[in-house]
Amino acid sequence: MDKKIRSWILMYFLGAFARLWLATSEYQKIISDRIEISTPLNSWKRITEGLHLTSLGIYPYIGDTLHEPPVNLAVYNVLVAACGRYFYLIFVICDTATAYLLYIAAKKYMRHLQNNQIDNKDRYAKDANDILLKDSDFAIPPTYVAAAYLFNPYIMFNCVGFTTTVFGNFFMALFLAGLMSGNLLFSTLPLAICISQNLYPILLLSPLFLQFLNIEKTPRKAITAVIMVLMFWTLLVFLSYYMHNSWDFINDTYGFILTVPDLRPNTGLFWYFFIEMFEHFRSLFIYSFQINVTLLYFIPLSIRFRKDSMLLATSLLSLMATFKSYPCLGDVGFVLALLPCWKHLFNYIQQGFLVGCCFIVTTALAPTVWYLWIYSGSANANFYFGVTLAFATAQIFLITDVLFAYIKREFTLKYGRVRKIDGKDAQLMLE
Amino acid sequence: MGLLTDPSAGQGKLTKALVKYHPKLTVLLYIAGIIWFCLLAYSPLNAGTYFSENALLPGLVTSKFRDDTLAKQYYDELQYEMKKYNNSIPYPWILAKFRQIGLDTYTHNFTLNYPLGRSQKFTGKNVYAILRAARAASTEALVMSVPFRPPSNIHLTTSPSVAIMLAFAKFANKEKYWSKDIIFLITEHEQLGVQAWLEAYHNVACGQEGILEHGDLQGRGGAIQAAINLEFHHINIAKMDIKVEGLNGQLPNLDLFNLATRMCTKEGIPHTFKNRENQKKDDRGRGPYDEWCYSFRTLMAMVASQATGIPNGNHGLFHRFGIQALTLEGFPAKQVRGNHSNFITIGRILEGIFRSLNNLLERFHQSYFFYLLPSSERFISIGLYMPAMCLIAGALFIKACGTWCKLQQNPLSSSDSQDNDDNEDSKTSMKKASGDHSSNDDTQEEENFDIVQIGSIFLLTHTIGIVLMNSPTNITRFGSAYGFNTELSIYIGFIIFSLVLLIAPAFVTIRSSYKSMTVINILSLLELGTTLICLSMYNFSLGFLAGTLYVPLALLIVPSNCRLCSWVQKILWLLAHPLVVLTTTVLIYTFISITGEPFKENMLRGLVATQQAIVFGIVDSMIYSNWLYSVITCVMIPNWLCFWIALFCPSKPKSDDKQVAASKKND
Repeated sequence: MDKKIRSWILMYFLGAFARLWLATSEYQKIISDRIEISTPLNSWKRITEGLHLTSLGIYPYIGDTLHEPPVNLAVYNVLVAACGRYFYLIFVICDTATAYLLYIAAKKYMRHLQNNQIDNKDRYAKDANDILLKDSDFAIPPTYVAAAYLFNPYIMFNCVGFTTTVFGNFFMALFLAGLMSGNLLFSTLPLAICISQNLYPILLLSPLFLQFLNIEKTPRKAITAVIMVLMFWTLLVFLSYYMHNSWDFINDTYGFILTVPDLRPNTGLFWYFFIEMFEHFRSLFIYSFQINVTLLYFIPLSIRFRKDSMLLATSLLSLMATFKSYPCLGDVGFVLALLPCWKHLFNYIQQGFLVGCCFIVTTALAPTVWYLWIYSGSANANFYFGVTLAFATAQIFLITDVLFAYIKREFTLKYGRVRKIDGKDAQLMLE
Repeated sequence: MGLLTDPSAGQGKLTKALVKYHPKLTVLLYIAGIIWFCLLAYSPLNAGTYFSENALLPGLVTSKFRDDTLAKQYYDELQYEMKKYNNSIPYPWILAKFRQIGLDTYTHNFTLNYPLGRSQKFTGKNVYAILRAARAASTEALVMSVPFRPPSNIHLTTSPSVAIMLAFAKFANKEKYWSKDIIFLITEHEQLGVQAWLEAYHNVACGQEGILEHGDLQGRGGAIQAAINLEFHHINIAKMDIKVEGLNGQLPNLDLFNLATRMCTKEGIPHTFKNRENQKKDDRGRGPYDEWCYSFRTLMAMVASQATGIPNGNHGLFHRFGIQALTLEGFPAKQVRGNHSNFITIGRILEGIFRSLNNLLERFHQSYFFYLLPSSERFISIGLYMPAMCLIAGALFIKACGTWCKLQQNPLSSSDSQDNDDNEDSKTSMKKASGDHSSNDDTQEEENFDIVQIGSIFLLTHTIGIVLMNSPTNITRFGSAYGFNTELSIYIGFIIFSLVLLIAPAFVTIRSSYKSMTVINILSLLELGTTLICLSMYNFSLGFLAGTLYVPLALLIVPSNCRLCSWVQKILWLLAHPLVVLTTTVLIYTFISITGEPFKENMLRGLVATQQAIVFGIVDSMIYSNWLYSVITCVMIPNWLCFWIALFCPSKPKSDDKQVAASKKND
């Protein structure tokens, strides 16, 4: 046990140390300037600008650089004032804490899975015994989740690049931990903060609702939770309003996220389409793209995975990270770090290797093509978009694979491993 | 949705086929890639060059340049002046001439602090003159440059280019149609001068801080759109060689190249590429094989020079700044008759090129930036040559995938076969298997690969690479303290370093685990594949040559029972060490180019040349930020080391034997 704790501390220490070293090295500037890491929404440079303008008594949204809600800006102001030039410590501590929160969330989820398995044991098919999870299968994943967050290069770069996604991830992890332990306050408040910062997490109301409805079996609590999130969010918006006594910030934050006026390239899919598109089709495609992120997958996934809100939350997070208007690597890394929760599904995953290769190649190729496009002037936007498209495809394949593996395992648990139709071997097809 | 279908539907077959046939498939892919590339030189399979940028309007105006007597006069005066300045540019004469023409004339000083060995300083001085555009503010500029070579220089003289440049400047200054500044630049110390001037023009430092002090410029024009570098070796030019390869293998826009060839054709001067003339139409009777052979050799000459990443002319340094540039190198006819000059034709070529460039409305952005040239009239675009590279690198990915699937299948294979054999009894056997499974649980845990160990191996090898990259300054200091010269101390230092690293596998504690070692192999394959693809995006030739060399050797690395096989693998892989590859290449080159000398002397000469090559690579990376050296030390050597560790993989998984035995018992 002692050894376990020691290696546990060592892991967190190494993760924090690597971040500290990178954050104080000369590479920090290069990393924070990468468009894959800093987007107009989360770049620390823009926050600094906003803070400076505020300190001069100028309305910080005036130059169209800042897109963070005023409340968050006020909090950053306090934090920066308190830490001075050691403000990078906030990011490192926050990131390490996120890893721990994810650990807790995963642990709670594992307990939930275990209870679920014990409860339903007699309902499973007879020959499904060997795909039941063993104690070790429940014990390991939480540590893997923490490790996958601490040593995930995407997350590391995200932290070292000083993006506000670090805080977004922190509250998201807090939300997941609160959700899994069924705590009303710790699941609603963090979610409200995430929504107020990023808007898209509003989709996570569905796992929140379903968790309390199906697992805790308390419909009243479920409705209360949703109302609480909305109230907290409204409260935050009003707080923002009282910062400057004007509603203009809505247009600069939520309006900015929804209408996508800044077409700086990023890892997402919006910029290229909206650069190429005729202006009068713009609103049509804005609607269709945003509906694609929000509504298209939201309802079917919520119906199908209503029994497992952690998986539902992860799949929604993954789709957001792929399709939202200003995605960054920090979002992708967060989803990747959650995947070890479903370590028992990895055997069923089909394109794991393909997706892995895709991630490696695109991660190496994106800066290459970017350099050729921007600095050498020899490549062009199509090269870069090709790479980000491959990256998005890999993410979609990954999440589809996990979901399908989950469904397949469920099916096998219920009907057994031998599938036969009229005495012949049958196969499951997704068409 | 074929790809997203049920894992057991079809995928089983695909995986099985992959596991079974991947060795053959990889060989096939590799060979297909090579053949694809070779075929590209065959002219029906590539495309003829054409203009994409309509604004250039090449050759539509009547040439008016007729100051050839003036050029000849400048040339004679320069020859006289050069006798007085044996070691430098005749500054007063050139400055006076430019001022006489009526241009803004400046000089530019720069200093080089030699980074290796004992600290040394070199200084240099460039001359440049700016013709201010008559019809526009100085927002855009064109450059005409000449590397000045004083009589003491070993290279062929370039003094005729200075004469024609002056004559052209005088002619151009009278014309009223210029809408871009023209900068006439005469540089010293070959590439160093241009690099310093460009850094000063843009006020940036490209290499490491404090090595090349670029100084400051007193006069500037606008953003430079294009540059033409002149290297005319004689006053009577019989053929024009056009050089395009730049720093790190970057190439100018194909439209600029087309412009140069078109202008030469118009004025009746044959243009060549890599000093090889184009095949004439009536030569085609020689048969397709000869034709292909000829183009292929031209193509390979380009690949070889591009792969080094060293510019083959001063134009190569412009590319980094987004300036399209090429070098026109003029050669005399084989038998030069008398003192006859053809300055008028050369002047008209320059006039044509610059007037076309003057027409440009926006930067060069059409046409191709990534291409290969099998002759000066045909090109191979990126869409044609990239598949070859993808096939070659794809072989690595397929092998990695096949090995991975095999690794995943191992524990399952026994139960799978049972499934198929006795479906009726599957339930009972399944129970047995599951019982077995739980009892074998602990061994299963051990069997799995150790992510932490693998991660730290990769981290360590790459850290070693970074240390190696930053070591030369210290090595040379250490060496000079013991009286070795720079070249020798670096070479010996690297050899010692590499020899020490060879014992690295001894420290790998997971050496006996089949799974972990195989995972190292898979990851190394993926790294090599990714590196090759990225490299070939930057510099196709380098990526392709590296791929051709390393892919078959990396494919050979398979754990085998036979002791001889594993030794052969190790020896082959040792031969693929970048240091060995470099030494061998240089030695072979020496033996081919210098024949008839005693073996020992050639050997020594080759070794010295190797040492110099390494030092050049390092110095280039420090001054010009040529990244060949960095890529080799940071990526190729660590990758090589990872493969080297993977070579010590045990031939067969021990646990597999156990499992087979266990399954037999079950039956």
